[in-house]
Amino acid sequence: MSQHIARSGLLRRTSILAVASAVSAALVGCGSSAAVTPTAAGPTVSTSDYSAIIAAAPVADTSAITRGSWMESVKTRGYLQVGGSDAAQLFSLKDLETGELKGFDAGLSQMLARYITGKTDVLSLTKLTTVTVDTRETLLQNGTVDAVFATYTITPARAKKVAFAGAYYESGDAILVKKDNTSIKEVADLKGKNVATESNSTAALSLKKYAPQARLQLFQTDAECVAAVQQGRADAYVLDQGILISDASNNPAVKVVGQPFTQEPYGIGLPLNKPEAKAFVNTWLKKIYADGSWNKLWKATIGTVVSGDAPAPPTIGSADGS
Amino acid sequence: MNIVLSHFGDLLGGFWVTIELTLLGFAGSVVLGTILAVCRVVPITPLRVIGASYVEFFRNIPLLTLMFLFIFGLPDIGITYSLFASAAICLALSGAAFTCEAIRSGINTVPVGQAEAARAIGLTFTQSLRCVILPQAFRSMVQPLVNVFIGVALSSSLAAAVAVNDLTNRTQQLNLEYAEAVAAFLVAGALYLVLSLGGAGAGAWFERRLAIQR
Repeated sequence: MSQHIARSGLLRRTSILAVASAVSAALVGCGSSAAVTPTAAGPTVSTSDYSAIIAAAPVADTSAITRGSWMESVKTRGYLQVGGSDAAQLFSLKDLETGELKGFDAGLSQMLARYITGKTDVLSLTKLTTVTVDTRETLLQNGTVDAVFATYTITPARAKKVAFAGAYYESGDAILVKKDNTSIKEVADLKGKNVATESNSTAALSLKKYAPQARLQLFQTDAECVAAVQQGRADAYVLDQGILISDASNNPAVKVVGQPFTQEPYGIGLPLNKPEAKAFVNTWLKKIYADGSWNKLWKATIGTVVSGDAPAPPTIGSADGS
Repeated sequence: MNIVLSHFGDLLGGFWVTIELTLLGFAGSVVLGTILAVCRVVPITPLRVIGASYVEFFRNIPLLTLMFLFIFGLPDIGITYSLFASAAICLALSGAAFTCEAIRSGINTVPVGQAEAARAIGLTFTQSLRCVILPQAFRSMVQPLVNVFIGVALSSSLAAAVAVNDLTNRTQQLNLEYAEAVAAFLVAGALYLVLSLGGAGAGAWFERRLAIQR
């Protein structure tokens, strides 16, 4: 009995302190919830222009859709099952009013779907399955999605599991810091610093390579990473330069420094056991490179935050693993 | 699988962070949950209301939402805890709501006659709670508390979403590099199982120790 008393007496003294601090922290936490959410206001892409670009994209000859092929199964179904994101600025962002996916990746997936099915209605061309780094390869292997468009960097390790068409875009990682930060100017300055990045991005990999002594913080979304920098949790945020420029243009408290320090070839993930898919998609990519659809889509999406003309599209098959 | 095994040391480092989160979160929930449970059984209405409101609030808010508010909301008013501390505190705050209910139901298993007998021999409310009711109540609480422990251990993986370098987070980093999601999560799942089974084992040991020899 005395043992119990002693134990619960100790319990009580320590616990009162804990309760007081925890409850006050909790109350403060809920009170501020209105001011919390990092905003994700993106550059606006006008719907009509965007849809017009998709609707004007080429359609495949019937002869190209061979019997029993990957393409034929998509055509029979009538839409493309896409693995991607609905929250990636500039690349694949869902318009909450219309439910339409817009962005560079989304636009390419819609163009590919149009190429196969011949349809023009952007909303019915694709069905999105949200994928993460952990699920992309598996969903392609088990046939849940036909293709993955998800700022999917081509790497030799991944190419053992999935086939990559492309590269269809080449990007580089840059650094975003607080406006008043003067100590971080290039990737070497990230040594020993807290660096945020998106958990679904390959920027985490480039950081391990170029700044192995940086302390990585993997957040889920772009908005969280920006908030982490703004609130001083992270000293810098590393991601695709286009996305960072768009963040900085929406948020005066942060800025982008230096030039991109990596080259990220993005590819379209396709099932490895359907070799005809890769050849077919590469042919389609060459077509949209040649007829200017790729350029127009770049202008309407990434081009809204990156100034200048669309770059020359990357050479197909140039990346190690494609 | 080979890649996962060659990075096993890194995963173990993450597992250690998961263990720390779990132990801190669970310890915090037991301390706070006990106080809340006492609040819910004392015959003082304001305390009962506070206890009940706390439980309903923290039991019904998703833990990830709570972590998100804690990490991105508090700095707006000038309070910044480290990511690890934030995750541990949120686990404790949320776990406390469940612990409170486990303890309260344990208290309710002690027959009312015990409390009456305690009062009859002149014990105060606090004394009867400490010396008569709680020691008996703890016996029936062990298994519900094991459930809370496992709940805290498994939901600590949500901390990975807010950049805490725990087991899940490191598993994701491994997938990023080597695209070995299935193998990596099998290993991570096994480690979580070890932690949960450890908790269950400790619970069984406590249960035997507290059992009354009849």
